[in-house]
Amino acid sequence: MEALLNTGSTIDEGRLAKGGSKYTDDYTKECAVCWMCAEDFTSLGCPEKVAVISRDRKYSVALTTKVTEAMRSGQVFIPRSIWANVVVEPDTFSTGSPRYKGSPVFVEPTDDEILSAEELVTKMYMGGE
Amino acid sequence: MADVILKPIGNFDLTVEAEVVTPDNFAGKSADDIGKLLVWQGPEELPLADFFSVEGNGGSSAEDTTIIIDGEIPRVKRIGQEMTGGKVLIKGSAGMHVGSGMLGGEIIVEGDAESWAGMEMKGGSIHIKGDTKDHVGCAYRGSWKGMSGGRITIDGNAVSQVGGGLVGGEIIIGGSVKHFCGIRISGGLIVVKGNAVRTVGAEMTGGTIVVGGCIERFTPGFEMVDVESDLKFNDIECPGEYKKFTGDYAIPQKGKGTLYVSCNNNECL
Amino acid sequence: MVYKNIICPVCGGSCDDVQVNLDKKNGTIDVQNACKMGNAKFQEVVSHHRILKPTIRENGKVKDVSWDEALEMAADILVNSKKPFFFLGSETSCEAQEVGLHIAEYLGGLADSNATICHGPTVMGIQESGMVGATAGQAKNRADMIVYWGVNALESMPRHMSRYGVFPRGYWTKRGRFDRTMVTVDPRVTPTAAASDLHVQLNPNSDYELLSAMFTILNGKEPHPSVEEITGVPISVMKQTVEMMKESNFVAIYVGLGVSSSYGKHRNIEIALNFVKEMNNYTKCNIGALRGHCNVAGFNQLASYLYGYPFGLDFTKGYPRYNPGETTCVDLLREKDVDAAFVMSADLMDHIPAESAQYLADIPMICLDIAPCPSTTAAEVVLPGVIDAMECDGTFYRLDNVPVYFEPFTDSPFSETKSNEDTLKQLFAKVKAKKEA
Ligand code: SF4
Repeated sequence: MEALLNTGSTIDEGRLAKGGSKYTDDYTKECAVCWMCAEDFTSLGCPEKVAVISRDRKYSVALTTKVTEAMRSGQVFIPRSIWANVVVEPDTFSTGSPRYKGSPVFVEPTDDEILSAEELVTKMYMGGE
Repeated sequence: MADVILKPIGNFDLTVEAEVVTPDNFAGKSADDIGKLLVWQGPEELPLADFFSVEGNGGSSAEDTTIIIDGEIPRVKRIGQEMTGGKVLIKGSAGMHVGSGMLGGEIIVEGDAESWAGMEMKGGSIHIKGDTKDHVGCAYRGSWKGMSGGRITIDGNAVSQVGGGLVGGEIIIGGSVKHFCGIRISGGLIVVKGNAVRTVGAEMTGGTIVVGGCIERFTPGFEMVDVESDLKFNDIECPGEYKKFTGDYAIPQKGKGTLYVSCNNNECL
Repeated sequence: MVYKNIICPVCGGSCDDVQVNLDKKNGTIDVQNACKMGNAKFQEVVSHHRILKPTIRENGKVKDVSWDEALEMAADILVNSKKPFFFLGSETSCEAQEVGLHIAEYLGGLADSNATICHGPTVMGIQESGMVGATAGQAKNRADMIVYWGVNALESMPRHMSRYGVFPRGYWTKRGRFDRTMVTVDPRVTPTAAASDLHVQLNPNSDYELLSAMFTILNGKEPHPSVEEITGVPISVMKQTVEMMKESNFVAIYVGLGVSSSYGKHRNIEIALNFVKEMNNYTKCNIGALRGHCNVAGFNQLASYLYGYPFGLDFTKGYPRYNPGETTCVDLLREKDVDAAFVMSADLMDHIPAESAQYLADIPMICLDIAPCPSTTAAEVVLPGVIDAMECDGTFYRLDNVPVYFEPFTDSPFSETKSNEDTLKQLFAKVKAKKEA
């Protein structure tokens, strides 16, 4: 499914990030989550986990799904975090600020394991060190 | 005409700023002297010869000098900045700010060009045969006046903020544009032969924009006044039927800007 | 011991009424008045995961080193870099950021701060059209209409609504919430939107069109009908919103990343600012950004008065230059145009897109922070941070650009440094010694 990705803060994301708890399970549970509406969730086959994939298909991140009435069809939300930023478009339209709101992405069901913030940096960004 | 041929040979891991590469600076210099001109890489000033092999001497004046860059230089910025005459031919792709603040002469880029080509240019011509990115012929940050004279021709696509703050001169885009084409222009002409995504002519208070393709999301502050066909602006021809709008009424300036939109490709407007 | 009127160093709200009871013996801290986010950070003073020792990474292995060794290695990285990049994060004082800026200038590097990935476009928009602003107190005492545009205030600045925005009793808004109309413009039904009197649920990336149409209405013209489909908002609702604004005595608009980060970026802000200017022909109207990070406004102020530009400073030619998209963090890293990084008081790795983050992990990075996070994991050198407003004094700028001086209630846990400012000064001395040798 194609969707527009919105990212932003949630209160617990803020609480955990500011409290230095980025390497806790709580943080992963709060942030490695893809919010969507029931309609999109059903059309994806009610998956427990989804892969959110960047438009150029270079980057992909596995997340648990969360169904909420806060979303409209065709839009997904990931709390502002390292997971969300994997698929945020790096192009800034010459403004310095990437597209935290409204990056086009693909969403597909997946069985991939959900990485913790630490695993994500070491595996994805530091080449598996 | 004297030709100076520069071939990229250096290490471009970090971008290079080469505002010295203009016919004005090369005129009257031997190939050796040209090689000694300094360019910037990070905080260091290094001789041009570290990055390019130089062949041929400059002419007696800028008008008399042609610079040929024989290769791809997407990481070399500011080629032809503020040049007043002569010619620069880039046989590959060019970096940011090519022909920025240019006053006269001619620049041809056979490949693509990065953002800010022809920023606040006042005269002369730039022809980019490939694509380019943002801020073509645009005003510098915070300035309200962009390009004021000359002509920029782009055969491919441009991205955002084409001709921002344009007050004079012409920009002709063979392909498509994305956002904010002709933002805040008060004069001059922009012709886009392809499509535009959104906010064409936003905040315009004068000047003319022609879009030959389809506008995905129309700017709300425009009002249709007429239908005209086969537009002609001096040597620039735009065949076909066009809906003529005035605006942008979002800006309290009484909508003196003119926006022509192709009838065929925008039936729903 | 109980300390009163402590400033919270977490978000741009810089709440100045926090009460702290620190029990050093038992290692506990009790915090009153702060929100969830603020409270979490105060717990850092006594937390177990705090970074207490400098570390370096050698052949892929992380090891503890002395402060001196860590600073030496950090200085080596910076001095040997051809084009160093400084990310002077917002969770520290202006004083520390100032030293950072001076090091960047000295080495001919580049310096940027959280604004670049946050309200940078807002600052750029202000540069394009100027701003009608007000302090938070003004808005609190006068505003009878509050618009949260593209911001989920309840979750990004939790006490904004209760301290300045919606609930407090102001001089001319004596009945608090009952004297105020609250409007939220957001594509998502956020908790803030749910608490509003009117929620304008626009389509993502259509802020510019919505503002432009409202501006057209304000100018007495009819917007092009296609705008309804583009924004998902009926023209009648736009008209109603404009009317509501005109009829209010004082409108306070707060913009968030929803405006400055979606398509349009600084142009969204620019038209919002122009709209506000025009609105002042009818009533009092002002606009301000809800700044998520603590001292993010401070860096903009500081950099502007020291070097003339608010962020994305390029010192490579010896004098400051600025061009977002060219001299800004995400672009520099994406284009691989720097070769070493110094990251202070911000988890940069976490907040930038993958392509940029990957390059940041590739190049030598020095990281100054208080708790383990992706940036410290990827860093070559980690310097422990001192917590501003708790362990040392200094200055923050609040969301409305009001400077706030803060005093600590305890000391730095390190004998080697008093504050981040102190650490940076020590680093600067080493850098100078190496460069001049
Ligand atoms: S609103 Fe912001 S400044 Fe106030 S207590 Fe919460 S985190 Fe701290």
